[in-house]
Amino acid sequence: MIKRICLSLFTVILFLSFSGVTGLSGEVKQDEKEVLELELPKPMFVGTPTNIRTPNLEKITGKRRGPFYVPKGTKLLSLDKPVTSSDMMPIIGEIEYVTDGEKSGEAGYYVELGPGSQYVQIDLGASYTMHAILVWHYHSQARVYRDVVVQVSDDPDFISEVKTVFNNDHDNSSGLGIGRDKEYIETNEGRLMDPRGVSGRYVRLYSGGNTSNDMNHYVEVEVYGTEVK
Amino acid sequence: MSKKVFAGLFALIVLLGLFFRFSQLDLRPMHHDEANQAVKFGALLERGEYTYDHFDHHGPSLYYLTLPLALASTGKDFADLNESTLRFLPALFGSGLLLLLLLLKSRLGSKAVLFSALFISLSPIMVFFSRFYIQEMLLAFFTLGFIISLWLSLDTKKIHWYITAGFMAGFMFATKETSLILFGSLLGALILLKFFYPSGSKSQHISPSLFSRNILFFLGAAFSVWLLFYSSFFHNINGLWDSIRSLGVYFKRAGEAGAHAHPWYYYLKMLAFSQYGNGPLWSEALVLVSALIGSVSAFTKKAKARHDAAFIRFVFFYTLLSTLIFYLISYKTPWNIIPFYLGMLVLAGCGISFLSDLCQKIWLKSAVLSLIFIGILNLGWQSWRANFIYYADVRNPYVYAQTSTDFLNLIRRVNHIAEVHPEHENMLIKVIADPHMIWPLPWYLREFKRVGYWAETEEAGTIAGTPVIISSIEQTEQIWPLIRDQYLSEFYGLRNEVLLSVHIRLDLWDRFLENRR
Repeated sequence: MIKRICLSLFTVILFLSFSGVTGLSGEVKQDEKEVLELELPKPMFVGTPTNIRTPNLEKITGKRRGPFYVPKGTKLLSLDKPVTSSDMMPIIGEIEYVTDGEKSGEAGYYVELGPGSQYVQIDLGASYTMHAILVWHYHSQARVYRDVVVQVSDDPDFISEVKTVFNNDHDNSSGLGIGRDKEYIETNEGRLMDPRGVSGRYVRLYSGGNTSNDMNHYVEVEVYGTEVK
Repeated sequence: MSKKVFAGLFALIVLLGLFFRFSQLDLRPMHHDEANQAVKFGALLERGEYTYDHFDHHGPSLYYLTLPLALASTGKDFADLNESTLRFLPALFGSGLLLLLLLLKSRLGSKAVLFSALFISLSPIMVFFSRFYIQEMLLAFFTLGFIISLWLSLDTKKIHWYITAGFMAGFMFATKETSLILFGSLLGALILLKFFYPSGSKSQHISPSLFSRNILFFLGAAFSVWLLFYSSFFHNINGLWDSIRSLGVYFKRAGEAGAHAHPWYYYLKMLAFSQYGNGPLWSEALVLVSALIGSVSAFTKKAKARHDAAFIRFVFFYTLLSTLIFYLISYKTPWNIIPFYLGMLVLAGCGISFLSDLCQKIWLKSAVLSLIFIGILNLGWQSWRANFIYYADVRNPYVYAQTSTDFLNLIRRVNHIAEVHPEHENMLIKVIADPHMIWPLPWYLREFKRVGYWAETEEAGTIAGTPVIISSIEQTEQIWPLIRDQYLSEFYGLRNEVLLSVHIRLDLWDRFLENRR
């Protein structure tokens, strides 16, 4: 009996000791842990970079845009259509440049609106079903326009029946809702937006400055569509 | 002009200069070169480490002279250092130029000194680079200091001027190794002066006796500055030899200018008349024309009689030679104008003084001086525009490879993301871009403990999972397939035509948006 008790006690002690040891060893391991210090490469010291003052017309990134398919009979609706803006006193150029059909990137072909969030609005004269909207903000320089939002509506004040066809304002800084579209670098190809057949008479395009300055620019906007069936 | 009137007017000009130089020193985003120098200075500040680099970044004086200022204002921690503290040094030396002119009062006359001071105080380019953490304004100060003390030592033969001249020469070389061009121009100017020495000049004893005891004082002072600074105060003796070797490097660079090769008239056009795109007109032609009149004045009988024509001729020859050399060197950047333009600014003051003396009739004098004051007011307006409106705009002729203001939005974004990251400033940031496209990131990210810099995406290890990745557009193309749909990507302007992308892990982005609500 005593022998059994002793054996049991020994087993318990052995078990407890073992657990204790392992527990202790676990604590030791925890104590011995440390933050893995990564040896990250330091910045290289280099001399003055190239000064670029003249426009660089080379494409910065991406491949040429592939074909974009639209229903037969789709036509350009926006050419020479009236344009209004949140800034009716442009700093450079005229609001009419937005739909005058001239897409050159040179000075004299773009309109410059004031800083912050600004829009231009095209009145197509009647409600149309839209199949493509093409926008050139400014393409003689590699830059990205911020908070680009394109909306379509039959209401000239954009209060009711507003349909958003493009929105890359991902932090909602313009207050028109969070957008999921990506930012893009301006090129001479312009940015093609797919309105997916929404209809409306007015197209409003917002932007909130760009990577070069706080101003907003438009070289041309083209709206393609068909008559509402 | 009475002493009191002179003192009052001079004090006003100095105040004007101080206002332009010290106001809003942190306004302009740090330039690539400024950030390079600032990060190098950080090593000296925190660890006492400075090793002269004979390939780049010029001499050690900028770093060592920043040290007491930084220790006094922000302490030993590099993270606490700021733009204003760093730029305080060039602003101080840019202002010091005005005080050096006081030493010329007996040589040039009160009027010439006042007008030279007014030009230096208001010149857009002089103000612009007085607010720029590079060596140029220090070099300008030591060069003018050397010109004046060299002249006074040769003229008066007093030991203290020889010692001052030696220190100034030593500091010129300790600031920029390329000061050798200026030493050459000064030597050439002395030789030319021998041939064209004005007979009636106040200084009639300009004859350097090369073997006199005083020359030893001069050499001793210059040598001690070179020894102390280039050897990092005896911590890097190799620096002494490297400072000599650097001459070969810079000589080669002057010929193979690469991206900084510009036509011979680059500086002339920049100073005389420039306009970029739809930007405003810029011109310091008033200084150029006045300097031309000042140069002519040194060769007229009237000047000989009234002022130290020999000194004006000396400055003219120096300006002419250094201008020619800098025009011929194909490597050109706007800040390289300063050393020779300095001579023009002094001569411009002499020119206006000469013109004013030339006009005998009161109405004519008033009319001429009124026109000049309108020109000076315009210079002041341009200076305001260059330094407080177009300070980072490519339409400003002195803006060169400048970091765009949009870059500060990138830094703000990274800081906001770090705020919602559990490890805050220990958040891992991977920067993947060519070394020419990373600066001034190391300066602005100095508070972050875990920032790595790679030139290629494949060298940067695992990309997915990194909280924030900053990349050049070229590398963005490589990165996108690796992080697709897990990150939000944004673009920011680094410089004109140069963009950077910031890729933020979506969980952090969502937390950031949540936090903003």
